[in-house]
Amino acid sequence: MKLAGSQTILAPRETVWKALNDPAILKDCIPGCEAIEMTSPTEMKATVALKVGPVTARFSGAVTLSDLNPPESYRIDGQGQGGLAGFASGGATVKLTTVSAAETLMEYDVDAKVGGKLAMLGSRLIDSTARSLSEQFFAKFATLATGLVTQVAAE
Amino acid sequence: MNDMTPTRAEREAKLEGMGCRRKRVEDIRFTQGKGNYVDDIKLPGMLFGDFVRSPYAHARVNKIDATRALQVPGVLAVLTAEDLKGVNLAWMPTLAGDVQMVLADGKVLFQNQEVAFVVATDRYAAADGIEAVDVDYEPLEVLVDPFQSMAEGAPLLREDIKDKTEGAHGKRKHYNHIFEWTVGDKDLTDAAFRNADVTINEMISYHRTHPSPLETCQAIASFDKVKGELTLWGTFQAPHVVRTVASLLSKIPEQKIHVIAPDVGGGFGNKVGVYPGYICAIVASIVTGKPVKWVEDRMENLTATSFARDYHMTTEIAATKEGKVTALRVHVLADHGAFDACADPSKWPAGFFNIVTGSYDFPVALCTVDGVYTNKAPGGVAYRCSFRVTEAAYCIERGMDILAQKLGMDPAELRMRNFIRRDQFPYQSALGWEYDSGDYHTAMKQAMEKLDYAGLRAEQQKKREAFKAGLTREIMGIGVSFFTEIVGAGPSKNCDILGIAMFDSCEIRVHPTGAVIARMGTKSQGQGHETTWAQIIASEIGIPADDIMVEEGNTDTAPYGLGTYGSRSTPVAGAAIAMASRKVKAKAQLIAAYLLEVHEDDLEWDVDGFRVKGLPEKFKSMKEIAWTAYHSPPPGLEPGLEAVSYYDPPNMTYPFGAYFCVMDIDVDTGVYKVRRFYALDDCGTRINPMIIEGQVHGGLTEAFAIAMGQEIRYDEGGNVLTGSFMDFFIPTAVETPVWETDFTVTPSPHHPIGAKGVGESPNVGGVPAFSNAVNDAFSFLGSTHIQMPHDYWRNWEAAKKLGVVE
Repeated sequence: MKLAGSQTILAPRETVWKALNDPAILKDCIPGCEAIEMTSPTEMKATVALKVGPVTARFSGAVTLSDLNPPESYRIDGQGQGGLAGFASGGATVKLTTVSAAETLMEYDVDAKVGGKLAMLGSRLIDSTARSLSEQFFAKFATLATGLVTQVAAE
Repeated sequence: MNDMTPTRAEREAKLEGMGCRRKRVEDIRFTQGKGNYVDDIKLPGMLFGDFVRSPYAHARVNKIDATRALQVPGVLAVLTAEDLKGVNLAWMPTLAGDVQMVLADGKVLFQNQEVAFVVATDRYAAADGIEAVDVDYEPLEVLVDPFQSMAEGAPLLREDIKDKTEGAHGKRKHYNHIFEWTVGDKDLTDAAFRNADVTINEMISYHRTHPSPLETCQAIASFDKVKGELTLWGTFQAPHVVRTVASLLSKIPEQKIHVIAPDVGGGFGNKVGVYPGYICAIVASIVTGKPVKWVEDRMENLTATSFARDYHMTTEIAATKEGKVTALRVHVLADHGAFDACADPSKWPAGFFNIVTGSYDFPVALCTVDGVYTNKAPGGVAYRCSFRVTEAAYCIERGMDILAQKLGMDPAELRMRNFIRRDQFPYQSALGWEYDSGDYHTAMKQAMEKLDYAGLRAEQQKKREAFKAGLTREIMGIGVSFFTEIVGAGPSKNCDILGIAMFDSCEIRVHPTGAVIARMGTKSQGQGHETTWAQIIASEIGIPADDIMVEEGNTDTAPYGLGTYGSRSTPVAGAAIAMASRKVKAKAQLIAAYLLEVHEDDLEWDVDGFRVKGLPEKFKSMKEIAWTAYHSPPPGLEPGLEAVSYYDPPNMTYPFGAYFCVMDIDVDTGVYKVRRFYALDDCGTRINPMIIEGQVHGGLTEAFAIAMGQEIRYDEGGNVLTGSFMDFFIPTAVETPVWETDFTVTPSPHHPIGAKGVGESPNVGGVPAFSNAVNDAFSFLGSTHIQMPHDYWRNWEAAKKLGVVE
């Protein structure tokens, strides 16, 4: 499953970059994320609860950041095992371009793979679920990143 | 005699013997929900076992940690391969000469492979226990495409046999290769192709599907530690073979193993093999000293116990320009999954696929089959067909249509020109079979007339013109299929399973009152044996079918038999029943002669007893004879009236039939409508026409499912995408077309009652009829072959590819 998209965020590029590296913000943005813990500057452990069609699963796994090119681009990858429900892995290449002092264009390419019962029972729903999850992620992220600007301004 | 004496016709009718549309006696319990299936059996203290299964198609298993699972309330034990090694059962032999992991030993090779067996006090605790077993998998590269199995650098699947160059059926060419099987004459075939006016070459795939009986595979093992005896109830199509295998594997003496197959809710080949669930239930019962039940759920059934088909057949036919076939050359790439667990007679790695010359007089032919491993579930069972006969029939029937298209000839006409003629039987086929009997031209003509084939072709021509003129968006297809089956495995000279000849058996006991109990080595899974077996005996020994009880499935009481699959019951056990009946009758004749004070040669059989020739009033009924056998047996004759027969068939039987499907397809949506389906079957002597029609209806419904959508599909990661009835097509009454049935009768010359078997014919002949209808519909748009299954989406894709839909 692959999808690509872009979004304009009302925040300067540095602020958006900071948000992209902030586990607390990532936790709020990743749909179903219950916990996220930084284990190194580029590695995190996460627990995510997901429902695909009839299958509900709690994944625990690792999130890695790579190809770091601050404040322009990086790659974020995650993989998790959901026990009986199967496993999932996915990642996104995220690129930030300055549109204006207060506006950043975020472009992303996402790929995701599922296996086990998730794929067996949910195969027909995977594409739409993945699309909706990544839309949720980036929409929430845009809101929170914009929020950071307001926060900074208030300070 | 007076007016009260029943007439001969009345006496015959009372027997409800062969040819009678006798209602199925087993349906009294089945239709009231009173059948007794494995899952209905509840034993005191019974435990439940369930599997931890692999989510990965190919992975190393680094560690299995059952600590958390053993803390789950109700969980008593977790078995792994390490535990089974202690009893030498981590691996088990397959029917095809390979070995198969019972529980994952170091790695897993297909999704949903059995990894650990959790034993608990009830089903729910077992399910909770499974969730708490922690398995550390290390994913490996997955091999899904059989065409890549033998590629250089392909992932090595079977580390256990990686250095083995000799397989169970000869040389292995690659570490993912299982066997190569060749039959026919290469030189003569190649020469015929060089000299041919016309040739075709098409890769025809018969996709992977699954028998999916409504009742899944299940078993209960109960080991009696005091007596050292094991009782095993299970969904077995071949209970005696299970007993022998269980004894060989467990080392429990065979007489101390009691295998019982109670009512079985459909088999279709799925319940022939031995599965890890059976072995684990047995081991768990021995370990815990309690009965252990294992019941597969639907997803487990579809994804882990035996699949069917997955044959990729490169088909070449050579012919003259007048449409006379001169040679056939077929290469099959057979995807066997992770272990070769095909259920074929031991010497036949590709079953009877060499029936692929079909109903046609091919002077020469060559057939080669390569079996390969992939990261898919093992199996390759005969899903409602004799071993690989559906694949063969599909191959040749599609091939003949493609040839007809190339010759610009009507497909029915091409078949008529190439049929083996009635006077050629017994017919020696180019690939080694001796067809016992047939009358193909008569059957085909009868079918074409009843269907008004010429009228349908004329209508199709008009519709095609209208389509081209833009007046309709519907296309019409007429699917022609003329199949020859090979069933009744089989003669001991060429058929065995693990060394046991494929005979079958019957024991008949006539009781003093003239009531009968009869037992066979077969096992009905819905075929109606309790009804039809009694009809054979009724006709043979003149006792009403209603007074005959048929019992199968208990190895303690039934004579040894090889079970029910591959349409073998009527050709083999049906013959044993007739032969046992005749032994009873021969003894009865001696008793009658004694009672009537004549020599036995002076007697003649008359419906339900013996009569002195020329003296019609001197008559003794079987009922009187039975009483005499126990009350005052003739001097010098043993009391009692019983017989056993073990029947080793001299040849297979060759049922055949002409099937036609008329279908309309909307090119814009791909939606098809089966307008008519006509099936003419010749299964030789017809024991119960009503049951035959029911068998044909059922087989056609499964054929419809397979051809039009039913599939086990894998994604590139080896995930099964059709693991439930959401995605795996099971037709309901809504989708199922109306079936028209017809018949001709060409009795088998070597079978005691001339019967040939019918249960699987409709699946064998049905699939090509549907597929040919779809292909015929699209052919005028320039299409040669569209792969099955033909669901709406694929039909629409085909229309797009042909440029008639944007």
